[in-house]
Amino acid sequence: MTTHELEQLLLQQPVSLLHRLARGRISRHFRSGKRKLIDLLLQASAENRPGLESDLAALIEEQSQRQQARPAATAPKPKVPARPATSPISTRPHRAEEHGHHEPPVSLHEWLSGIGVPQAQPFVPDAWQVDALAKLAETDVVVSVPTGSGKTYVAIEATKRAMQENRTVIYTSPLKALSNTKFTEFSRLFGPEQVGILTGDRREHAQAPLLIMTTEILRNLLYDAAGGEIDVRLDTLGLVIMDESQYLADPERGVVWEETLIFCPSQARLLLLSASIGNPQDIADWLTAIRPNPCALIRHTKRSVPLRAGYLHPNEKLTPLFRTAGIPYGQPHLLHPEAKRLFAEYEEETGPSRSR
Amino acid sequence: MPPSIHPVDLVATLRQRNLTPAIIFLTSRRACDEAMQSFERSQVTLPKAQQDQIARVLAQVTEQYPSIAEHPLIDTVQRIGVAAHHAGHLPSWKIAVEELMRTGSLDAVFATTTLAAGVDFPARTVVVTQSSIRKARDFTDLTASEIQQLAGRAGRRGKDLVGFAVITPSPYIDLTVLTKGLTGQPEAIHSQFVISYPMVLNLLKAHPREQIQSILAKSFAQFQLNQRTAVLETKLDGLRAEMEPFGPRVCSDWITQWQVFDQARKRKKPRGLGARQESPDVAARLHFLTPGRVVGLTRGRGIILRQYRSKGQHAPMVTLLRDGGSLNECPASIVTQVFDRTFDCEETSAYPWCTPQTLEQLTHHLLDLPPRLPILPILTHQNEEIPLDSSIIQTLGDFACPTCPSRQACQRDFPRASRVRQDIQRHMKSIQALQTSLWHRFQERIDVLERFGYLNATAQLTADGEWARLIRIDHSLLITELIRAEAFGAIDPPLLAAVMASIAHDDDRPGSFPRGSAGLVTLLFQVRKLAESLAPHEAPPMLRADVAALTERWVADQTLTWIGLARLTTMAEGDMFRLFARTIEFLSQLKTLKATHPSLAESADQAIAGMRRGVLEELP
Ligand SMILES: Nc1ncnc2c1ncn2[C@@H]1O[C@H](COP(=O)(O)OP(=O)(O)OP(=O)(O)O)[C@@H](O)[C@H]1O
Ligand SMILES: [Mg+2]
Repeated sequence: MTTHELEQLLLQQPVSLLHRLARGRISRHFRSGKRKLIDLLLQASAENRPGLESDLAALIEEQSQRQQARPAATAPKPKVPARPATSPISTRPHRAEEHGHHEPPVSLHEWLSGIGVPQAQPFVPDAWQVDALAKLAETDVVVSVPTGSGKTYVAIEATKRAMQENRTVIYTSPLKALSNTKFTEFSRLFGPEQVGILTGDRREHAQAPLLIMTTEILRNLLYDAAGGEIDVRLDTLGLVIMDESQYLADPERGVVWEETLIFCPSQARLLLLSASIGNPQDIADWLTAIRPNPCALIRHTKRSVPLRAGYLHPNEKLTPLFRTAGIPYGQPHLLHPEAKRLFAEYEEETGPSRSR
Repeated sequence: MPPSIHPVDLVATLRQRNLTPAIIFLTSRRACDEAMQSFERSQVTLPKAQQDQIARVLAQVTEQYPSIAEHPLIDTVQRIGVAAHHAGHLPSWKIAVEELMRTGSLDAVFATTTLAAGVDFPARTVVVTQSSIRKARDFTDLTASEIQQLAGRAGRRGKDLVGFAVITPSPYIDLTVLTKGLTGQPEAIHSQFVISYPMVLNLLKAHPREQIQSILAKSFAQFQLNQRTAVLETKLDGLRAEMEPFGPRVCSDWITQWQVFDQARKRKKPRGLGARQESPDVAARLHFLTPGRVVGLTRGRGIILRQYRSKGQHAPMVTLLRDGGSLNECPASIVTQVFDRTFDCEETSAYPWCTPQTLEQLTHHLLDLPPRLPILPILTHQNEEIPLDSSIIQTLGDFACPTCPSRQACQRDFPRASRVRQDIQRHMKSIQALQTSLWHRFQERIDVLERFGYLNATAQLTADGEWARLIRIDHSLLITELIRAEAFGAIDPPLLAAVMASIAHDDDRPGSFPRGSAGLVTLLFQVRKLAESLAPHEAPPMLRADVAALTERWVADQTLTWIGLARLTTMAEGDMFRLFARTIEFLSQLKTLKATHPSLAESADQAIAGMRRGVLEELP
């Protein structure tokens, strides 16, 4: 690719993509506008052009995949060339920007419409929930879906199955408070004698088929088992559920999740439940590398209840935050003109006091 | 215009727009409490039916958690349908608020952004008033993951057709951080693997030292290091391809050959004026001033980020990350000592010469370094280049180069080829470092444990190691050393609980507290001294005497009620609860030493029994 072609291709990309590309290449890149950013990128990559080009191709690829995965209603679909090398020169503006700026912004009335309670419906599991359970019958599973999607359902169904096969289930959560809530919830569901809880100094129903504990307690059990002191019956352990597995990245406690996963007995299935994270495939690939069976990944980014974003001015004026009713994924610049104006006003008025 | 909307007006607007129930995230506990106070003065009152519902739900939760009944805000919550939920509250109260929210009885909750993931606490609307949060005494921008976790609570499945995330500004808000977070991808997560003393003891209990490396290789940390290795290997392939045209010539290692010849040739000539020589000391050090190296300076210490030559004078220069977090470019002579300590440094080709993550990690490492570090002994050569035997110089005529057919090619290609070769060697070193760093850190821990006598020379657990491995909490080295120093001889349960509390507590929120007993003061003095002497091997805990005294009171005076205790201090109830819960956790580890330290285990058991009363008994 010539420098000119590369520059044209960069020009066609949304700023967010350019910022991602700039990570690690340019310091304080968030301060630069699009034009400046492209210049800096070209400068910074003078030595390693192939690196920049391949990263760019990967980002474009990733973005187009994301856009295909997203339903049409939530966001305008920018057309991104799937293979950058084939269509480098194009001077017409990017379609996404065309769309964003020419379609009239959503009105407050539209934005507020549709509030309400959905009609009660019989429970039908989502496709991803069914999929996760099917995969779990075969192998370890990592689930990474947005907050509030229904991960608990997967945990409960998987527990029921394991219990039917007379296998022990361990459910871990990062916090004692969460363990307590789950203990109450699961006791109600499975019957109190079926559910036990283990903390540092207390054990209730330690012989129950479903045991709830924090990840630290499970790690300690695994230490003891490895040291030859069998405590809880790990030989019948059939399933380990780790809720909120994104804690793997916790600066202080993340290591405990790693240890637990490294030492988890190979005959037990793993079910990792996580909020949306950027690289769930890495987790699945890692587990595939260290566990007897390849680990399946269930991920999606679509929220089950659509989200809208708004801006509320201190004078109580409410407006949509973006030009679109839904969240314009990948296009943070599509601000609603009214929100833009009000916020500029806010910055103007509170400006002097902020610098004090 | 006010700098931010008044809480009462905010809730009124949300009600009017049918956007309740809402969770309103505020910057601090204090802000949440003040928001609640502003409602106490307001005239709003809920319709009777909703008030009754709140009362019903509260009564139900109170059956399980009696302490809720004593909460001072119960009446306000019932009257106005608004509550606060933050870490200053008792867990039981938080459970009550969560239950009220789940049953749809409240209109709004003021919460801090620490609201834990996984707590089932959804609403129709989430209000965000900030774009940064306080982390380790510093304000950092919210990440996309964090913003999406907050916004993710908006829109309850089965109860809402749509959810709303509303941003309302307050001073210091940066709108672009929020819009980017809402529309962006959550960040990738990175391994936070650290090797602790208990980990080393427990691994060596179950596996011989030879197997450890293969166990560490199974970590997510190594998985991600391997990903970085793969990137470097691709680069290495590229460099090797670049090297190909310079392939075998008359001599197999022509680059070195030419270098030696060239040096010898130049040395015969009188030294030019331009070629300024650095002192042999500096020259010898240069090889060690590689990215990630910790060095001593005339004042303070620093970590090298890059080594280069100044443009004009060609003087050796370094880019340094210094104690205060500043980045300086200075002459290499500023380095007074080279320490035997390097950190991973993911280099980049532009300022600040490493990735932002590396920079952040290094800044932390620099703060966490022990006061004393081993110094790397450096042999100083008199010449800065490959030391040449004078006989070689004498017999310059013996070199084949002057008459070699590829002489011209060698002379022409040398600068590029040697640069590429250097790059290849640098990459190979980095790859080597990535592959062995975990094991090195593990070995460092082994060395310390061996020096203290928990491991023998073949890295097997000694008698002390056997019980010490059961202490699997932070500050484990301090605790096991205290036990070995018999600091806990025939210790009273209140005193033991107090010391453990001071070790366990890691919050520096100030407050006023009761005074501790004379015995506690003396004991804490000893603990502090030991902790300081261990500082090179383990970061000392805060060892706050005030929280220790509070704990001592609670265990010593069994007639003291929770409310009575709360009156003795300005510490928030939630913080008191957390302090005690963590102390109990630490004590329960001492309890596991029954076989080797029966009286200590017994005392720990009694201390736990003494602590578990009132609200501390409500939760398992
Ligand atoms: N298939 C489904 N259809 C309708 N509602 C569902 C379905 N699955 C789960 N839910 C409901 O969705 C809500 C949220 O579920 P859950 O608490 O399991 O989410 P989660 O993914 O664990 O969220 P978090 O990230 O907050 O832990 C619950 O009220 C649950 O009953
Ligand atoms: Mg959940």
